Order: sequence, then C-alpha cells, then structure tokens
Amino acid sequence: MHSILAVDDSASMRQMVSFTLKSAGYNVIEAVDGQDALEKAGGRSFDLVLTDQNMPRMDGISLTKKLRESAQFKSTPILILTTESSDQMKQAGRAAGATGWLVKPFDPNKLIEVIQKVIR
Amino acid sequence: MSYEDPGTSSPPEMPLLLAAELQDHLMTVTNDLERLQRLLDDACQALMEGFHTSAGQLGEVIDLGHEITPHLTEVRQTLFKAVTALQFQDMATQLIAHTNKRLRNCADQIARDALGDDDPDGAAVVEDGPLKPNPVTQDEMDAGSVELF
Repeated sequence: MHSILAVDDSASMRQMVSFTLKSAGYNVIEAVDGQDALEKAGGRSFDLVLTDQNMPRMDGISLTKKLRESAQFKSTPILILTTESSDQMKQAGRAAGATGWLVKPFDPNKLIEVIQKVIR
Repeated sequence: MSYEDPGTSSPPEMPLLLAAELQDHLMTVTNDLERLQRLLDDACQALMEGFHTSAGQLGEVIDLGHEITPHLTEVRQTLFKAVTALQFQDMATQLIAHTNKRLRNCADQIARDALGDDDPDGAAVVEDGPLKPNPVTQDEMDAGSVELF
C-alpha cells in the first residue's frame, strides 16, 4: 500500500484529503504544517507528499526545498495543493522542486488520477 | 468642502469627526466579518459531521472487504462532490482573514493619521496590512486547475 504524507493547517482540508486518498486505497499520514511534516518525514519514507502552500511555521514551498535536500526525498513526487494560482507562485514551486501544482478546490476523482500518474 | 491646505504640499487632512466615523464603520465591518466567520464555521462543522458519518460508514464497508456495488460507487461519488463543495469553508476563511486584515490596517491608519497619537508612551499601533495580494482568486466552486511540471 502506498503511503502519502498530507500536509495542511486546515483540519477540514486534511479530513477531506484523507477521506479521498483512503477511499482510493492509500495509507495517509497527516501533518499540520511544514515543520510538522518535516518531523514526520524524518526516519521514514513516503511515496508522495501532498502539501498546502500557506501554513504557519513553514509553507509548502519551503517544505519542498527542505525535503529535496534529503536523499530520501530526492525523487519522491511532491504536489502542492493550494488556493494560490498565480504564475509567480507556481514558478517558485517548480524551482523548489515540486512535481505539480493543484489549485483548490480539488476534485477528488482528478486528485486520485493525478496521484496515480505521478506515483510510479 | 475642500480638505486641502493651500499653504503646504502635505496630504489633505481629514476632519476629525469624519475620520472617527469612518474608523467606526471599518471596525463595524471587521466585527461583522468575524461574526460571518463564526457562522460559517458552525455551519460547516455541522456539514462535516454529516459528511464524516457517511464517509465512516462507507469506509467500514470498504475495510470489511465487501464488494463495491454500483450503489456504493454512487454513494462515494456523491461524497466526492461534497468534498469539492466543503472546501468552500477553507477558501472563504482565507478570504475573510485577508479582507479583515486589510480593513483593520485602514482603520488603524486613519486613527494614526487623522486622530493623532494619544498614547503618551509611544506611537499609535498600526496593525500590519497583508503583505501579499489576496491568494483566493476563485469566483466559483468549480474544481481548480492541475499543472504537472
């Protein structure tokens, strides 16, 4: 079973992401922000990281940069799921090493489709 | 009525009464926005509870390894539609917080510039405005875009 680290400071968003991914057969570990995600990522591997951008303590782009510094997450797909839709932010996400940029609100079927595509 | 002082090039000053009234309106709006946020939270919490009950029941059926019947697939698709719609709360919360911060910043600036500093210990406190433009640009509840790099 593939494991996904789902990061969002909104409890309701985490619950909806978890429901969507679990119903598609994924194991989901939740984190409340980038810092919490880094702590949970330490010492174990994930098949994919799905993170929000705007969060307290550490945002999604900073988390992506930090994870890419680790050999363990060099090639792990990292998707940023956010309300931010500006080209400038997308480019910053891409430069940080993100695999893709998804704008909220997400369509569960589409999210599952994208995840299946990027998890190899 | 002109507020410009022809003798200087400094910005026009706002009469005290008008400034106080404007600040009062802005504070009322920010309080109303906070009340709107609480109403939204309450409504969405009730919706989420219903969603979780249904999602939990569906999860139990899947965990028990029962066959996913067309009816269950339909139930799951209905819940998926609710997932898209329930994200409204998250987006609305961000939009309200951003707007509230901007309004409070305006109210503080009016207080500082027009009403003066009545704090003997130092300058009037002006709450910082948002550093970035509003991140929520969606106009409707359609699902957002997906871009793979």
